[in-house]
Amino acid sequence: MKSYVYFIILLLIIPVQASLLAPLSLGGIKPDLALALLYVIGLLTGPMEAALAGMAIGLVQDIGSASFIGFSGLTRGLIGFAAGLLGRRVLDLTSRSNIIFMVSFSLLEGIVIAFFLQMFYGSFPFLNLAMSRLLPRALYTGVLGAVLLKLVVRKDVLSVLVRRDIQKEL
Amino acid sequence: MRRFGTSSHGVNGKQLKQMPGFIAKHKKLLSIFSLFILLFWLVTIQVKNGRFTFMERPVLAISGFFERIISWPFNTVASIAKGYVLLVGTQKENQRLRTENEQLLLEKAVMNELQLENERLRDALDFKRFYPPDEVMAQVIGKESSPASSTVTLNKGADHGIRKDMAVITSQGVVGKVNTVLPGTSKVILLTDPGCTLAVRVMRNREEGLLEGKLVNCALKYVSYYADIQVGDLLITSGLDGIYPKGLAVARVVSVSKHEARAFQTVLAEPAVHFSRLEEALVLIK
Repeated sequence: MKSYVYFIILLLIIPVQASLLAPLSLGGIKPDLALALLYVIGLLTGPMEAALAGMAIGLVQDIGSASFIGFSGLTRGLIGFAAGLLGRRVLDLTSRSNIIFMVSFSLLEGIVIAFFLQMFYGSFPFLNLAMSRLLPRALYTGVLGAVLLKLVVRKDVLSVLVRRDIQKEL
Repeated sequence: MRRFGTSSHGVNGKQLKQMPGFIAKHKKLLSIFSLFILLFWLVTIQVKNGRFTFMERPVLAISGFFERIISWPFNTVASIAKGYVLLVGTQKENQRLRTENEQLLLEKAVMNELQLENERLRDALDFKRFYPPDEVMAQVIGKESSPASSTVTLNKGADHGIRKDMAVITSQGVVGKVNTVLPGTSKVILLTDPGCTLAVRVMRNREEGLLEGKLVNCALKYVSYYADIQVGDLLITSGLDGIYPKGLAVARVVSVSKHEARAFQTVLAEPAVHFSRLEEALVLIK
């Protein structure tokens, strides 16, 4: 990815997630733009770059929220790495399986977070959390991710986002 | 003389020579792996010593600035739409409010009488007088930016007298407390945030407990097995934490489960305030 794209993402990820997506909220559930973006970055760049991008995005989100610093950095770094591996070995931008993977990553991250919180803060209403927050958010993130992928596969958008050497690979 | 790191450790000289090659080959992967370990270590340190506030203010300043810009058109459109909707039903609404106003005036007269009586009795008993705190109305400009916490951003901050750990409420009940303050913005952690705890009391029987955020709802902790807690009970602030004034609605009990092997009950409660519909909130200035 071009470095100014990362700069813009890091600068705007919190305000866009917190304010711009607020009107899209359904019953208090918002799609996770950062995760969808990270997945796309993974497909476009590869595991190393996406892992670093995930860590940076997660760290910014941690600092901007009230969670432990490094918590989302860790989970998002792993998601970026996994998405990068998928992009290199299995999937391309147009594959429909991307949505399933995006939903799975979101769900998996939620489960990991709940597991961590259970470790740090004691028992958690896990089933309630999964059914009322994690699953709906994962599905909604999948929808947003599908829209993002549709946008990204356009050549003009791709040329703005991605370096020339990667464009040739894609 | 035996050379260091030979057969006893299963590593011979050839393998040792290959090590730098392996590191050079997988340099990127190893650095990423070290970063993951570093982040994990950072999290575990915070569990022990509390959350770091590193870089919090600059990040909030930048995000707050953009959140104001982004939320402005949405809030403007919403207020225009709301104004129009209100205009449509004005006459009916007016009639309803008149009736309600009459009832409230009557209640206020009774309350004034009770307050005066209360003050007289407090004076007689030499009790400390209760002074209602000042409040600042603020607009919510951002909600929930991370999956592991529940926070909102308000469009008012230190310039308006807001300080860290001040209580944030609405007419329905407690919202949370102020976490970070900048001149024109403040970040509030909601009741449902795992890092938010407050001292509460069951309104019906004055049973006390500690309410802790669990992302979607809250859990009432340290409630004895024998305590009488029922589904539907209203939890109110006890005032013991020194942040929230006494008697504010906090949450309603939605499930109670007991197990003979445990000393405490598992009580889940739903916040009295619907955070998804939160648009404005009052910050109580101490």
